[in-house]
Amino acid sequence: MSTIEVRNLTKTFGDVRALDDVSFTIEDGEFAVLLGQSGAGKSTLLRCLNGITKPTSGEIRINDEPVRGPRNDVAMIFQQHYVLGQLSAYGNALTGALHRTPFFRSLVGWHSRPDKMEALSALETVGLLDKADQRTRNMSGGQQQRVGIARALVQQPNLLLADEPVASLDPASAETVMGYIRSAAKERDLSTLASLHQVNLAREFGERFLALRDGELVFDGYREDLTVDIIDRIYGDVQTQDIREGTEAHA
Amino acid sequence: MSERDDAPTDDESSNPRPDGGTVTGNLEGALRDITLTKRIKWGMAFVLSLVFGYLFFQALAEVGFSVAEILYYWPEFQSALGEFFPRTSLFGVLPFVDFGSYWQFIQERNLFGAAIVTLAMGFAGTVLGIPGALLLGVLGSERVTPYPFNFIFRGTMSVIRAIPALVWALIYIPLGGVSPFTATLAIGTDTMGNLGRLFTDALEEVEDGPIEAIESTGANRRQTVVFGMLSQVFTPFIAWTMYILEINTRIAVTMGLIGGGGIGYILQTQRSLFKYTNMMATILVIFLLVVSVEFVSQRVRSYIRGEEEGLSFLKLVVEFPQRMARSLWE
Repeated sequence: MSTIEVRNLTKTFGDVRALDDVSFTIEDGEFAVLLGQSGAGKSTLLRCLNGITKPTSGEIRINDEPVRGPRNDVAMIFQQHYVLGQLSAYGNALTGALHRTPFFRSLVGWHSRPDKMEALSALETVGLLDKADQRTRNMSGGQQQRVGIARALVQQPNLLLADEPVASLDPASAETVMGYIRSAAKERDLSTLASLHQVNLAREFGERFLALRDGELVFDGYREDLTVDIIDRIYGDVQTQDIREGTEAHA
Repeated sequence: MSERDDAPTDDESSNPRPDGGTVTGNLEGALRDITLTKRIKWGMAFVLSLVFGYLFFQALAEVGFSVAEILYYWPEFQSALGEFFPRTSLFGVLPFVDFGSYWQFIQERNLFGAAIVTLAMGFAGTVLGIPGALLLGVLGSERVTPYPFNFIFRGTMSVIRAIPALVWALIYIPLGGVSPFTATLAIGTDTMGNLGRLFTDALEEVEDGPIEAIESTGANRRQTVVFGMLSQVFTPFIAWTMYILEINTRIAVTMGLIGGGGIGYILQTQRSLFKYTNMMATILVIFLLVVSVEFVSQRVRSYIRGEEEGLSFLKLVVEFPQRMARSLWE
């Protein structure tokens, strides 16, 4: 439903260049995965796309409209899910509709019928319809993250962003949650950009790959281009064999 | 040198030092330093306790505290005690406190009715104070109102708190006379200051993540405050409100002492009539009132705080008599 254009994006925090002249385009309905070590600038890029962080220079355009602040057509899934533990799964899903609900109506929970149906349909998409009434505080990490996905879907976004959505989940839940994100994006034809640090998960779910290293875009291509050499380049000197040998030497 | 002294140096030797020979000298130096610091600490503690003791005796002199007076008036207090706890005998033999005379006064003056008036003062005052507390408390938080401006609201709450509830009642007398109404207004005002402050403190603990998450959905500023911030502190807000209700019930009792009505007023009149038995009957009812409010408040707090979803509200109500009995007899 939308095209994302990033042109010469740079973000500095003091002396640190978190993003250094990053440019790319994500086509309509593409499922892109953002790779890179911790500190490579993945979160900063996503936060710029979401409008939470203002770039130092450069431009982001979504459907030819520049991003200037948080936008209701850009939805974000957070690593720590950040759902409201006090509310039910349904209540959390409905917070995605806040931007189209007047303040006093949202205060008393008087949502429109289409929004209520949208919330339930989003919960169905993430397989939590039967738990709609349950307080999210008492849910597992994977379920809470799925509630976070539902909230993002209720927003009816054009672009879905996910910042390490499965980093704090066990491998099985990670797989499930990634599956839900991909099927939700397919179902609603959403352009998606998800940062991941597990290369195997990325290979399994991604079509298109972008990789950052020290704030610079070092790779932009499709699955067949993502060779072992490229992965080594993305993750630099950190090689698993070295780590293994290192531990053996100490033991 | 004994073996014990050598032991630490032996340990050091596993970490070879270039200046191995001066190890003992270093230890002596360290010991000297520690002894010196300790002596200074003891000296300071001694001076501080002298100052503290002086202030304490000055304070006692200021209030005219005298043990002689206690001894002199002890017989009088003893006879009052006799009236506080009137004697009767159980089955004609066992001496026991005469609850009958308490009960007589409780029925005669309808003390439970008076206790309800006091409870109403505390409850209504709390409810009246909540909107103000919520407004001042939320606006007083630095995360809602930017830094210098939030002090307008914090300052307002500080001023309210600086004046005790009883003094607020005195201030409001021209408005409502010496009555439970005035007392309720005073309690409401006091609640704005105290509860508002607790709300502000609770808001300091709010996490940034959920706020950002709500912001990212495109919600407006007010929605972000309500859903991102306030929903995180919903549980502590309820808990603090229950806590303030407990305090306000006690304040409502003391309001009666200055003529604010309710059970405190009965206590005051019986005291001025020197009816000590009646006073104790009133105190017993006050005790029952305050303890019941605390009991309910604590149940509600542990219910909303705890993850014990199993204990539904209905169950809480249905099982109440059972639990009450258990907590009384076990």
